[in-house]
Formats: sequence, structure tokens, C-alpha cells
Amino acid sequence: MKQRGRGIACMWYPIGFTVDANPSAATVKVNEDGTATVLTGTVETGQGSLTVLGQIAAEALGIATDDVHVVSADTDSTPMDTGAIASRTTYVTGNAIWLAAEAAKAILFETAAPMLGVKVSQLEAKDRKIQVKNYPQRNVSIGQVAHRSQVILGQPAIGSASWNPPTVAMDPETGQGKPFATYVYATQIAEVDVDDETGEVEILRIAAAHDCGTAINPMLVEGQVEGGISMGVGMALQEEMLFDANGRHINPNLTNYIMPTSLDMPEITVDIVQGFDPTGPFGAKGVGEPTAVPTAAAVLNAIHDAVGVRVTSLPATAEKVLAAIKAKRATEQKQIPA
Amino acid sequence: MNEHSRILEREKLDIAETLRDADLRLPAVAPREPFPIEPLTPDARQQTRAVGQRATRPDGRLHGLGQTKYIDDLSFPGMLYARIKRAGIACARIKRIDTSAAEAMPGVMAVLTGKEIPTNTFGPTFQDQPVLVDDHVFHAGDGVAAVAAVTEQIANEALDKIVVEYEPLPAVLDPVAAMREDSPKVHAPDSNIYATKVIRKGDVEKGFAASDHIFEGHFSTQMIEHVSLEPHAAIADWDANGRLTIYATIGRITLARADMARTLKMPMSRIRIVGTIVGGNFGGKNEITQEPALALLSKKTGRPVKGVYTRGEEFTSTTTRHPIIMDYKTGVAKNGRIVARQIRLVLDGGAYCSWSATTLGKACILSPGPYKIDNVLAEAFVVYTNKTMTGAMRGFGAPQVCFAYESHMDDIAKALKMDPLEIRLLNAFDESSPSPTGQVLHSVVVKETLRKAADRFGWEPRS
Repeated sequence: MKQRGRGIACMWYPIGFTVDANPSAATVKVNEDGTATVLTGTVETGQGSLTVLGQIAAEALGIATDDVHVVSADTDSTPMDTGAIASRTTYVTGNAIWLAAEAAKAILFETAAPMLGVKVSQLEAKDRKIQVKNYPQRNVSIGQVAHRSQVILGQPAIGSASWNPPTVAMDPETGQGKPFATYVYATQIAEVDVDDETGEVEILRIAAAHDCGTAINPMLVEGQVEGGISMGVGMALQEEMLFDANGRHINPNLTNYIMPTSLDMPEITVDIVQGFDPTGPFGAKGVGEPTAVPTAAAVLNAIHDAVGVRVTSLPATAEKVLAAIKAKRATEQKQIPA
Repeated sequence: MNEHSRILEREKLDIAETLRDADLRLPAVAPREPFPIEPLTPDARQQTRAVGQRATRPDGRLHGLGQTKYIDDLSFPGMLYARIKRAGIACARIKRIDTSAAEAMPGVMAVLTGKEIPTNTFGPTFQDQPVLVDDHVFHAGDGVAAVAAVTEQIANEALDKIVVEYEPLPAVLDPVAAMREDSPKVHAPDSNIYATKVIRKGDVEKGFAASDHIFEGHFSTQMIEHVSLEPHAAIADWDANGRLTIYATIGRITLARADMARTLKMPMSRIRIVGTIVGGNFGGKNEITQEPALALLSKKTGRPVKGVYTRGEEFTSTTTRHPIIMDYKTGVAKNGRIVARQIRLVLDGGAYCSWSATTLGKACILSPGPYKIDNVLAEAFVVYTNKTMTGAMRGFGAPQVCFAYESHMDDIAKALKMDPLEIRLLNAFDESSPSPTGQVLHSVVVKETLRKAADRFGWEPRS
């Protein structure tokens, strides 16, 4: 018979390397028509990071995502970057790109101030224009300013910057210190059906609430959460590399190494919890790794809730769950009712 | 028109006047009549403000149309195909490698062994990993020789012609047994415990003494592979000027160049790493693998050399997620507040360090959970075994310890007859709570995520 259960798990996860320097450098070039090119040494590994980094540059320059082209991942032509690791790209590379865009924008402001007859400090970049704060009627298009800067004044609008998260080394005896600049938080709740005759677990739905500071691109955050949960499902129920007594891997193929397919995926709801981190670009932190962290814990708590057995070693395969159910019944039967 | 007026004319150039994205795109299949293609979300990429927009990815369209070019889609004139012979034995001394029959095969252009690699060690933390093993095999997925041939089939056949004589040695497979002093050493004469971490806050013994209840839990997790859709792949091109270009599925090109410079003893200015579109990383593509071997095969043959791992090699010869054995002991007050928590973690580090020291550190720091606990003692050890190396994988030890601390939390809640949500809200960090390492936390929203998920799920306390 199928037994239904629910399980909750929350987590915390840091952004960036543990204490060690993990800098990013970036260059932002504003073209003569007001579009821009970003140079970054990070690599798009499927998560959509280049889109997010382009959005950060666009926001700083007051232009649209489509106006920015991001060039990445060539050691000959792009500035150094610690790379796509440690959920750091939005936070660390994003900060470097934001600072580089601000440096390029400062050159544009210097050109625009006499054009608009105001001081540099009175200017803002918005809606593809450079305009006077609180008097947007006085404005000039960013394309005109960029062209004038480069072609008339000989001052191309280009900026470079780098950023590294501030940390404090950990004491070797006590581990006390500030190993990371910031952390994100999340909770996932799973609902499962457990077949108490076969031990098979079906995950019905997962409610995921994740913090990433400002969501630079909510659609990509949702994608990360759904992808992370799929890895968590595999960790909870299926995936396991097995070795023989001589240390040889016995299931190095996708026939015998079982991992979730789309048919194993539960219904997922994603909530992005409102947050703002003043140390991140426009309040953003990160989201890549933490999405995979609480899933297995939530599923295993749901199994416990459903059939009352605590599986303490992953994955909770049907065999393992059934063995635990049988062991529990065996102890229960030994108790003679009073 | 004089020069000055021409400039003024061009000054009017503006983003608003240029063609937009949809007008510039090509249709998937050329239509008989041109038609406009509407993007999925027509406006998000055009919005100012850009932040907060559900902007579509510029690479999404190419992925969807099957037009993305991964490494296996690229080829260069004269390009050769490389394959690596794997040891298939967990621990052994190599008595003899004979590559002569392979080298004599028509179509085989070069064979490479570990002895030809200028600095045959690499690694992001400790340089304990050979590109191809010299005289000792540390795990079954180790490479013993590499072949470059005009086709992949010939390269595969050549692997069978390479004769390797092994003297099998006892393999270390159990990480707990490996910690004992009398255990055989994976990297003799060093201890198998190759990194440790301690977090000590308050006094756990006093905390346990002051607790109303003590709970213990023991948990363990498995070894997991990333299983990226695209396997590890690279093309090396050593040109006549002695400049090396590597196209690779690597998430960290800056580190990759440093590792290439080290293994090949080359100045960095002579090495170019191009990170291609990566078909999945999840931590598995954070360091070099076959690239130095491909570079040297390219140098030997004067031709570009491509290497693409098989799915089998993805499992046996790349990094994986650490199995962790986790012991928890928690002292709790009557009302459910955690007073003290002691944790011991043993990580199976596999044959090489890779990102194990980082995983160890993060697992240890995060192991108490997102909870306010005044007395914490967490000790973590990572241990060499003769198994597939473990390294970076999405979460660096966090999914493992989360499984432990959240299972443990539910067991505590059940014993105290508390709702699982309630006990978490009671103990979770607040803004400015100190972390187990004494860091004052900011932008803390763990309780908000608990409430939001509970609300969405429809979580009701049970009586």
C-alpha cells in the first residue's frame, strides 16, 4: 500500500572560495552607438551566467540586455577570472563587471556634463539616455555621448576593474574566522508516496523557496532550482557508484548507474525569497550550487514521515527502504501487547 | 561635405536607430518567403532596467535548434584523435610498458607515456595527480599511455596493442580503515589523512552537561558522478612557432593555463586556453584532465589532436562527489533549543586531492546547519583511497551534511513531539546571528524561506 509523507529541509550555503582569494577582473567597452561589449574570463557552463553578467553591465549603463554582448573564456583576450565554481559568478564576476561598467560610465558622464550644462554628480544613465537626476527632460542619448567621447574628444568609454570577496583567515586551532563574504539560504519541502510492499519511493512534489539576494534574472534562477532538484532526486533515491572488492568501478555506464530522467521529476514550485545583499551587484548573491543541497534531506524526511523508517545511508533505493520497513515490522511484532 | 560635418552626421547614430535582435536573426530553416521570427519573450531583452528581467539567453536559440558547436562538432585540417589506455587495476607497480606494437600500426601517429611529460603532476590544492602514471597506479581509472591516430577507431585498436605488466599491490578501499596508522599508504610514505579541519566554538562538553536531552545520529552518503551530457573534451594545437592553443570544456581557464604551464614547463604567454561552450559542468570541469597529453601528442605529430572521453571514462577517470561518513551528537533543552552539537566527518578522498581540501572545509563549516548553537565542535578528515578521485561537485559537501543535520533535526523533533517546522524556526539563524566560525551573518533570510516554502506547500502542524 502506498503511504504518503512530507519532509522539510533548510540549508545555508556560502558564495565564493573558503578564505582564499578568488578574484575576477572585467572590461566594459561602450561602442560609439551606445551598445556595449563586456570582456570576462569566466566560462558559460550552461547556467546562463553570460546573460546575467550582460544584464548587470546593462543595468549599470542604463541600457538593455540586448544592447550588451559578452565575450568570454579566452586567456589571450579576456581578463583573468577564477571561473565557474563555488556559486561565485554572479556575485564576484558580477561585481567586477559592475565596477568596470561604472568606470566606463564615468567617461561618458564627463563628456555629457558640458553637453547638458550640469555637473557630473547630477547625471544618471537610464533608458539609453544620460539625463539630469530629477529633471529627465534634459537628456542626451547614450549613443550620442559615446560617439562624441570617442570620435570628437578622443576619449573612448572603456573601463576595467577587479573584485575579490573580503574574508578573514580561519584560526587553525578553532576554525574561527570569516571564511566567506556572504551566504544564501533555502528551504525545500517534499511530498512522497512510499509503497510499503516494494519500498519504492515516488516524489510527488517539491516546494522550493530560495534566497539569492536580488534575482538578476528570475527565469534563470528558477532554471537553476529545477536543475538542482533533479540532482538532489538522484542523490536521494538512485545514483551510486559501486566498486568491487578490488576497487574497480562496476557500473560505469548509464545502464547500471541509475539517474533521474524527466519521468522521475516531481512537480516543482519555485519561490524566490526577497532579499538584498549590499555587498553584491545590485543586491545579488548566487544560486547555482545551493539548489542541489536540501533536496535529498527533504525527501528522506518525507520517507520517514510516510513509513516511519529512518534511512541513514544514501541513496534510499527501494531495496534499502523495504529492508528498513521489514526490520521495523520485525521489532514491532516482538512487542507483545499488554 | 567636409570632414567635420561628416562626423556630426555620424554623431546621430543611436541604438534606437539600429535594427533590433529579431530583425537580425536567421530563421531555423530558410523559408520560401521571409518571415519575422518572434522571440519567446519579445520585450525582456529590450527593457531598461535590465536587472530583474526574465531575459532569454542568447545561446538558448542555438541550443534549441541544434546549432551549438561543442568540441566534438569542431575539426581542423589534419586533426588526429587521441585515446588513453586506462589501468583497470586499483593499485599496482608498473613493471613494464611496451608501446612498440601500437606505434607500428598504420595510422598511429604518436604514443605518449608519463615519462615524457615535463612535470607529471598537477592539482588545484596539492599537486599529487599525474597526467599519465609513471610507475605506480593509484586507481583503476588512471591513464597509463595515450595514442594519437588518424581515426578514433585506430586509436582504440592501438590501445589494445599496448602491453603493460603490473605487480598488483593491496588496495586501500575503506576510508575509515585507511585512517589507521598500520594501513597501507596510498601515497607512501605520507599518511592517508591528507587534510583536516576543526571548528571549535564554546564548550561542547559543558553544553552537553547543561542539556536536557542528548541525541546521536550516524549517516553516510554515496559516491556520485556529475554525468554532464557533454563528456570532457579538448583539442590541442601546437603550432610551428611553439605556441599552444587548447580548446577545452573547462569552467576555469585561468587555472587551466597555470596548470598547463606547470606540467609542460612553458611560459604562460605561449599558451592560449579557449573555453568552449560547456555541455554541463556541476564542478566536474574545474581542472585539466587529458589536456597536457593532447598538447604533447600535438607537439610530437605537428598536427591538432582531439580527445573526447567516453561515458565510461567520465565515471572512472574524472572527479566525483565525496562519500562522507557523518557522526552527530546534539544536546537539546526541553523547549527544543539546541545547546551543543558535536560532529565528526570522514570524507573518502579517492586517489588524488583535487578539490577535496575545499570540500572538507565547506562541509565542516556548514555541518552544524543554519542554526544558532553556542557550543560546537566539528572535526573533519579527508582520506586517500585507491578509488576514483573525488573533487568539486555542486555543493562541495553541503548536500551530504544537510542530509545528516536535517535528518537528525527531524529525529530530535519527533522525540520532543515538536513540529519539524517549529523546531527549525526556533533554532534558525536571525540577522546578525554568529556563525559557527564566529562570523556575524548579514542578509539572513533562512526563516523567510522556511515560512515561504511551508506556505506554498500547505504545511499544517499535526496534533
